[in-house]
Amino acid sequence: MLQLLIEKELKAILQSPKFIATFGVCSILIMLSIFIGVREYRASLAQYEIATSLVDQKVAEATSFRNMQTKVYREPDPMQIFMSGVNYDVGRLSQIQSKQDVKLEQSAYSEDPLFAVFRYIDFAFIVQVVLSLFAIVFTYDAINGERESGTLKLVLSNAVPRAKYLIAKMTGAWLGLTIPLLIPILLGLLLLFLFKVPMTGSDWLKLTTLIGVSILYFTFFIALGLLVSSLTRTSSVSFLLLLVAWITLVLIVPRGATMAAGQLVNVPTVAEIESQKDRYRTDMQQDTDEQRHNLWEQVMAPAEGLPREERRAFYQANRSAFRELAEDLQTAMEEEIAEHNRQVNEGLRNAKSEQERLAFLLSRFSPASAYKLTAMNLGGTNTSIKKRYEDQMFAYRETYNSYVAKKSQQEKKARQEAAQKSRNSRMFRMTGSGNEAVDANDMPKFIASREPVGTAIKASILDFGLLSVFTVLAFAGAFLAFVRYDVR
Amino acid sequence: MFNIILDKELREIIGTTKFAVTFGVCAVLILLAFYVGARNYQVSRQEYEAAVAENIQQMEGLTDWGSIDHRIFLPPQPLATLVSGVSNDIGRTVNMQSRGELRTEGSRFNEDPLFAVFRYLDLEYIFAIILSLFAILFGYDAVNGEKERGTLGLTFANPVPRDQYILGKIVGSFVALIVPLMIPILIGCLMLPVLGVPMDMDSWLRLAMVILAGILYFGVFLTLSVFMSTLLQSSSASLMALLVVWIFAVLIIPRTSVLVAGRSVDVPSVDQIDYEKSRFAAQLWNERMTAMQKWMKANYNDDHRQMRDGMRTFSTEQQALQDEKMNTFVEQLNEQRANKSDLRTGVALSLARISPTASFSLAASDLAYTSMELRSSYVESANAYQQEYSAFMQSKNVDYWGRYRRHGGNDDVEEPDPIDTRELPVFSYQQPPISEAIKASLPDLGLLFMFNAIFFSGAFVRFLRYDL
Repeated sequence: MLQLLIEKELKAILQSPKFIATFGVCSILIMLSIFIGVREYRASLAQYEIATSLVDQKVAEATSFRNMQTKVYREPDPMQIFMSGVNYDVGRLSQIQSKQDVKLEQSAYSEDPLFAVFRYIDFAFIVQVVLSLFAIVFTYDAINGERESGTLKLVLSNAVPRAKYLIAKMTGAWLGLTIPLLIPILLGLLLLFLFKVPMTGSDWLKLTTLIGVSILYFTFFIALGLLVSSLTRTSSVSFLLLLVAWITLVLIVPRGATMAAGQLVNVPTVAEIESQKDRYRTDMQQDTDEQRHNLWEQVMAPAEGLPREERRAFYQANRSAFRELAEDLQTAMEEEIAEHNRQVNEGLRNAKSEQERLAFLLSRFSPASAYKLTAMNLGGTNTSIKKRYEDQMFAYRETYNSYVAKKSQQEKKARQEAAQKSRNSRMFRMTGSGNEAVDANDMPKFIASREPVGTAIKASILDFGLLSVFTVLAFAGAFLAFVRYDVR
Repeated sequence: MFNIILDKELREIIGTTKFAVTFGVCAVLILLAFYVGARNYQVSRQEYEAAVAENIQQMEGLTDWGSIDHRIFLPPQPLATLVSGVSNDIGRTVNMQSRGELRTEGSRFNEDPLFAVFRYLDLEYIFAIILSLFAILFGYDAVNGEKERGTLGLTFANPVPRDQYILGKIVGSFVALIVPLMIPILIGCLMLPVLGVPMDMDSWLRLAMVILAGILYFGVFLTLSVFMSTLLQSSSASLMALLVVWIFAVLIIPRTSVLVAGRSVDVPSVDQIDYEKSRFAAQLWNERMTAMQKWMKANYNDDHRQMRDGMRTFSTEQQALQDEKMNTFVEQLNEQRANKSDLRTGVALSLARISPTASFSLAASDLAYTSMELRSSYVESANAYQQEYSAFMQSKNVDYWGRYRRHGGNDDVEEPDPIDTRELPVFSYQQPPISEAIKASLPDLGLLFMFNAIFFSGAFVRFLRYDL
C-alpha cells in the first residue's frame, strides 16, 4: 500500500511540467554557483601566490635587517567555493613589524568595491534562497490541491489509512525532489576535479557534511509546505502564507536579528580603541624619553664641569654603552605596549563576541540562519576567521621578531667591525651599509593551519540539531493537521 | 468607462485579505527600516564624534608637533542607513601624514564581520527584494486569472473598449498598491528628523528621488507581471514563470554578471601596485644615500654644527625632489590602475543592468552617496586636506627630521610648551554636489522607465489581441 502511494507521488511529481522547468532552473543555478565559486577561488589563489612571491622578492632585495618588515596573507581555502561567508569582508593581510599590532586589513571588498556592490553567489546561497523556494512551490498544494481537485476524498474513500497517506506524500515528495538534485550537485563536484582544486581529505569530509545539511534544510521546507498545505483549505491561500513565511524566514529574520543585536549590545568602536592605544603609546614614549634623559644625565655625570674636548671624549667612550642601555629601555617599552595592546584587543573581542552570540541566538529562529551559520562553520568562513588568523599571525610575529633581532645584531656587529677598520667611520654610519642584499634564506615562513575538521563539525552540531528539530516539528504538525483534515 | 474600471480594480485589490497581509508586512518592514536606520545613524554619528575627540585628546600634552598621530575619519552619511550600498565595505579611517600616499582602512565589515554575515535590512533591500515580490503577487493573474474565473468574458460582453480595460487594470493595480505604501514611507520620512537625523534640502531631494526610483522599479515588476499574465494561459503557470524571472533578475544576474565581467578585464592587484611603489621608494632611497655621500665628501667641514645644518638643508632639498618623483610615479601607477579598474567597472555594471534590480540598486546608491564614488571622493577630500595639513606642519617648523629631533639626546633644550591642538586644521569631508549624484543616477532611472514602457506596451499589445 505504502509503496503504491509513494510510486503515485513520484510519478505525479516527476512528470509534471512544473518539475521539469523548476528542476532545470535549480540545476543550472547549482552548477553555475559552483563554477563561479571555482573560478573565484582560482583567482584568489593566483592573487595570493603573486602577493606572497612579491613579499619574498622584497625580502630578497632588502639591504639591511634593521626595521625590516613583512606582510603575511590569508591563504584561500577551497571550501570558500561553497560558502564565501565573510571571507571577502575580512582583511587579507597583516603587516608584521616589531612596532605594529597584528591586524588583518585590506579586505577584498575594500580594495575592489566593485564586487561589494552585488557581492558573491555561492552554493550555499543557492540552497538557502532558491532551493527553499523550489521546495515550497512543490508542496504548497500537496494536500489542499488534492482536495480541490477532488482526488483526496476519492483516495480516502478507499481503505487508505490517513497516516500512511501522509507518510507516502512526505516520502514521495522527498524522493522526487531531493534525489534529482543530487545530480547537479555531483556534476558540480566534478568541476572540482576538472579545475584541479586542491581538496584534502578533511575538505571532502566538510563538503559531505555541508551537502548533508543542505539536504536537511531542503527537507525542512518540504515539511513546511506540507504543514501549511494541510492547515488550509485552498491552495492559493497556502501559497500566499508559505511565500510570506519564506520571505520572513529567509529574507527578513537573519538580517533583522543581527540589527536587533547591534542595537541592544554596546561595543566600543575601533576608533576609540585605536586612539586608546595611541594614547598609551604616547604616554609610554614620554616616560621612556624621560628615563633615557635621566640615564643620559647619569652617564654624563662624571663629566660634569669638564672642558668641551674632554667632555666629548668622555661621550665617545661611553656612547655605545649608553646606546645599549637606551635600546634596552626602548625594547622594554615596546614589550609593554604590545602587552597593553593585546589586552585592549582582548577586551574588544570579548565585547564583540557577546554581541555576536546574541545576534546569532536571535537569528536562529529561522532555519535559514541556522543553515547559513553551519555552512559558514564548515566552510571556514565564519566570523572567527579573524581571530584564528590574527592569533596565528601574532605567534608568527614573535618568531619573526626574534629572527630579525638576531640577524640585526649580527649585522650591527659586522658593520661595527668594518667601521673600526675604516677611517671615515662617521660617514659610513650615516649612509648605511653597502647595496648588497642580505641573506634572508633562513627566514621563518608563515604557514597557517586551517580549522581542523573536528572543530568545524562540532561547531555545526547545534545548528544541525536545530534544523532537525524544526523539520521534525513541521512533519509532526503536518501529521496532526492532516489527521483532522476535512477532505470534503 | 476608464474611471469605472479603475474603481473596480482598486476595490478588487484593497478589500482582500491578501492585500491586508502583504501590506501589513511591507508597512512594518518599511517603518522598521526607517527607525533602525535613524538609530544606526545616531550610533554612527556618536562613534564618529568620539573618534574625532579621542584623536585630538591623545595629542594633548605633547610638546612636539612632529610626533603627533593624526587620523581623519569619514563621517556617516544620513542616507547611508537607508541605502547602505558599499558604505560598510570601504575604509573609514585615514592615517594622516604630511607627505606620501594616503590609505583608507578599517571598513565597517572588516572591523565587525558579524554584520557582514547577514548584512542590513535597509530600505533599498526592502524595495529591491520584497516590493518586487509584492508586485508579482498582485499582477500575476491580472488577465489570465480573470479569464479563469470567467469574469473576463463577462466584462467584454459589454461594450468595454479593450485599450481602456488594460490601461485601467495596470493603472488601477499600480495606484492601489503604491498609494497605501506611501503612508508608511511618509511616516518613515517624518521619523528621520524626529529621531535626530540631519536632513537638509539636498538630502530630502535625494531621498525623494530614491523613493521615485523605488516606485519606478515597482512599476517594472507590476507591468512585467501583467504582461506575463497576457502571455500565459494559466495563472499558476504565469506565477511560476514570474518567480523564475524574479530569482534571476533579483538574485542571480547582478551578482553573476559582475563576477563574470569582473574577471574578464585584467586589473593589476593592489599587492602588485604596492610592490612597484615600495621598489621605487627603495630605489629613490639608494639614490639619496649616494647623493648624500657625494655631498659629504665634497663639503666635509670640521665644524660639525655647520655641517649638520648644511646637510639638513641639502637633505631636505633632496627629499622634496624625491617626493616629487615619487608622487609622479605613484600618480602614474594609480592612474593606470584606475583606468583599468574603471573599464572593468563599466563592463561589469553594464552587463548587470540587464536586470532592473541592478539599475535600481545603482541609482539608489548613487543618490544616497553610497556608491563606489564614496571611496574616491573620500580619498580626494583626504588628499586635499593633506595639502592643508602639510602646509600647517611646515609652518610649525616640523621638517623631515622633526620626528627625530627628540631622540638626539640633547641636553641643552629647555622644557617646551605643550601644543595647542585647536591650531590643527580640521578635516571636513565635502560631499560631492547633488548635481553629480543626480547625473549619475539618470541613466539608471531612464532604464527603469524604459523597462516600464516596454512591459507596458507588451501587455497592451498582447491584450488587444487576447483570446477571451
